[in-house]
Amino acid sequence: MSTSLLQAQGVAIHFGGLKALSGFELDIHQGDLKGLIGPNGAGKTTAFNVLTGVYLPTAGTVRVAGEVVNGLKPHQINRLGLARTFQNIRLFKTLTALDNVRVACLADTYPFFSRARIEAARRRSSKRSGAAAAMAALNNYVDWWRAMLLTPGFQREERALTVKADALLDVMGLLPRRSEEARNLPYGEQRRLEIARALATGPRVLLLDEPAAGMNTREKADLMVLIRELRTRFNLGILVIEHDMKLVMGICEEITVLDYGETIARGNPERVRTDPKVIEAYLGDSYLAAQGMSVPGGSP
Amino acid sequence: MASLPAPLRGVFPVLLALLLLGALQVVVGQLPFFVYLSSVVGVNVILAVSLNIVNGMTGQFSIGHAGFMAVGAYVGGKLALEMKDLAISGIPHGVSDQLQLLASLAVGGAAAGVAGFLVGLPSLRLRGDYLAIVTLGFGEMIRVIVSNLEVFGRALGLSGIPQTSSFMMIWMCVFVVVLVARRIQDSAHGRSLLAIREDEVAAEAMGVDTTAYKVRAFVISSFFAGVAGALFAHFVPIINPGSFTFVKSIEVVTMVVAGGLGSISGSIVAAVVLTLLPEVLRSLFLQVGGLEGGAALAQKVDQIRMPVYGILLVILMLSRPQGVFGSRELWDAFPRWWGRGRRAEE
Amino acid sequence: MGDLVQHLINGLAAGTIYALVALGYTMVYGVLKLINFAHGDVMMVGTFGAYAVAVGLGRPAQSSLLGVAAIFLVAMGGCALLGLFIERFAYRPLREKPRLTALITAIGISFTLSYGFQLDFGPLPGAAPRAFPEIIPPREWLVFGDRTVVIWNWQVISLLIALLLMVALQALVYRSRFGRAMRAVSFDHRTAALMGIPVDRVIALTFMLGSALAAGAGILFAIKDTVVQPLMGLYVGLKAFVAAVIGGIGNVPGAVVGGLLLGLVEEFVVGYSSSSWRDAVAFSFLILVLLVRPSGLFGTVTAEKV
Repeated sequence: MSTSLLQAQGVAIHFGGLKALSGFELDIHQGDLKGLIGPNGAGKTTAFNVLTGVYLPTAGTVRVAGEVVNGLKPHQINRLGLARTFQNIRLFKTLTALDNVRVACLADTYPFFSRARIEAARRRSSKRSGAAAAMAALNNYVDWWRAMLLTPGFQREERALTVKADALLDVMGLLPRRSEEARNLPYGEQRRLEIARALATGPRVLLLDEPAAGMNTREKADLMVLIRELRTRFNLGILVIEHDMKLVMGICEEITVLDYGETIARGNPERVRTDPKVIEAYLGDSYLAAQGMSVPGGSP
Repeated sequence: MASLPAPLRGVFPVLLALLLLGALQVVVGQLPFFVYLSSVVGVNVILAVSLNIVNGMTGQFSIGHAGFMAVGAYVGGKLALEMKDLAISGIPHGVSDQLQLLASLAVGGAAAGVAGFLVGLPSLRLRGDYLAIVTLGFGEMIRVIVSNLEVFGRALGLSGIPQTSSFMMIWMCVFVVVLVARRIQDSAHGRSLLAIREDEVAAEAMGVDTTAYKVRAFVISSFFAGVAGALFAHFVPIINPGSFTFVKSIEVVTMVVAGGLGSISGSIVAAVVLTLLPEVLRSLFLQVGGLEGGAALAQKVDQIRMPVYGILLVILMLSRPQGVFGSRELWDAFPRWWGRGRRAEE
Repeated sequence: MGDLVQHLINGLAAGTIYALVALGYTMVYGVLKLINFAHGDVMMVGTFGAYAVAVGLGRPAQSSLLGVAAIFLVAMGGCALLGLFIERFAYRPLREKPRLTALITAIGISFTLSYGFQLDFGPLPGAAPRAFPEIIPPREWLVFGDRTVVIWNWQVISLLIALLLMVALQALVYRSRFGRAMRAVSFDHRTAALMGIPVDRVIALTFMLGSALAAGAGILFAIKDTVVQPLMGLYVGLKAFVAAVIGGIGNVPGAVVGGLLLGLVEEFVVGYSSSSWRDAVAFSFLILVLLVRPSGLFGTVTAEKV
């Protein structure tokens, strides 16, 4: 059994009196393709925000690659191998497609302290190590100087970044658009650029928040193929939030259903599709009654 | 320049500028009015370009730049006063002066950079208008503190600082700040700053340590504001807290906003125009209007400057909030002979 | 002990003025989420208006009850119009733009007014400070002990006027139809418009109200300081803003508490150290509050939606 790349145990978050999420469990391994569905306001995006460190969970723990990430900042969690896209596209609007990806390519450089040394310092003390952070910061400072002095090494790295970003754009079919400003791209391409950008951070788990929203049937079909392809090509575990049932049912091996922050069902698509609680959450029990379907405890 | 071997690309422009400015120094060094005018312009260009790194590139609106200029001016000026009677033996007097000036620029800039770090670390957690107001508050705090310190001459300020800032030194500093701003913009770090401007949440989610990057941008910006202040201290007869009120901050903000947030060349052009215009008008009135009426008119130019800045800001926001240049650069228009044009390289 | 009481009284007197100006800030921020940087300068214009009327009325008339009322009415009315004008032509076109655009505009207006009034052609007054007529001739209202504590009549009067205006405002915001509309606009102006609330008119009226209050505060300030000058608005405005932030910007009682608090602290610091630190008080207060509790004493925290 492979190790868990992303794991949530009993995660809950409350805003004032509102329980936006409670008892949330999740486990993603390499090669997983799981789905998260639920009616509007069920807490799906909130779950993403907790997993990626935007919100601090009220209870429970989130682990990324085995490390507890409660209280870490989003960029630190991202560095551990968790990347996401946004439901309401949040590209860097006035930057070109290439630059959007290059921002995310931002690799840690080690001009002063070696990677091994920082890792060693990190391991020596169990918690987040101040020394390691200071060394990483110093590396970054030195790197600014390399940029300002335009050293040959820096120029090489910039070229390497561009090559890497171009490769990702190519995978997502955006290479011809690389010099276009992100805000000028059509909707479907913006969604794909968001995925390219997330991939550029070198994730092991990818969270996709409604990747098909606003796409037409043709684009959705392409997207389904693409998501499967990304999983194998980049050795990812993927979690998708999606309203389009056809897409979710079509690609996900396991689906978790949320309603009012509670997990009401979990299982393979077939099981979820026929679960009365799920149908009730989506359609309301009056609909069920009208259709003469089995309402728990009621007779047709 | 694109064909230069990689190791030379870093230093070549600097050497070229040094040579050119050195030659110019020989030519214009003897024209006191021109040197004065170009000094005032140069200092404002440094201020505008450095503020643009924070306000334009990083999208964090700061309106307390004068505070950091004050730190640079006072620390650099104080150092120069202490070193006044020293001279480095074995080299010509003028060169020794310039080396001392360089030292006080470095120290003034560093002090301002430290101040920037101390101010930036807590305040950059705030956003938008709250950040603006808190930077204004810090800028004014710095001024109040300085005007209460005995070492800095309290309200009277410092006088007798050696007047050693030269045309060459000032424009070399201008050149360096522009070069640094441009190279940052073209680097991975600059792209991270731009990403923060565009969408902070997304930048953070893509692994950019937004707080650290904002603070670094702020420190670099403050450093150059300090350099500008130290230069300023070396060509005006006296520096006092009155030179660094938030009126000065707003003046710089006006330049950055008018030029276009995020456009380095916009900041340069706006700083040059907005500095020269009143100076030219003033000298014009003095020349044309005769001694009596001319002096009165010239005085009017000074008075009218601030309300004009105010009206300019309002008109700009109403008609062209992105500024004259937007976020475009002058040099994007000539990518061929300016080798590393941003879009050209891609 | 007498010292302490005297500082307390002076601090309260200064604080009521900050509070009045802060109310304008808070109301405008409430409906527009805009830091109306020019608010202090509107106050300055109002004070100059009062100055002109008082000088025009001449010596006996200016300090009669009717005269004083006229001075207040003209200044407050004029300022209301000025506020209306600024809102209509400078802020309204920017309402859907990023908030910073409006803030920069506000700074621009502030500079136009304060430095414009420093010019000395036409009707503009010029930079020199001038003595404000004694519309309320200063008298000692209460004297304790060996003159250790002196309460002046104008201190009492300005406290009373300030309290009166605040109570009236509180009633307006929480008891009247207009107040309800205002709070609706403050909550969400798009939804308010859908509910049939004339959003433009509500915002314009809020501006007029805030500006009129500022004019009233300006006159009280001029009575206290005995001079008027074009740059007075810049710092009083900034400090009133600080007061509004301390109390939690957008919150009416908060502005009053913030103003009084700031007035008191400033008075005590100046009283027990040196007046050259006066400006530092407000700014350190501001920095502290914004960094430690940006929502102020009575404000509510709002989270950003991702």
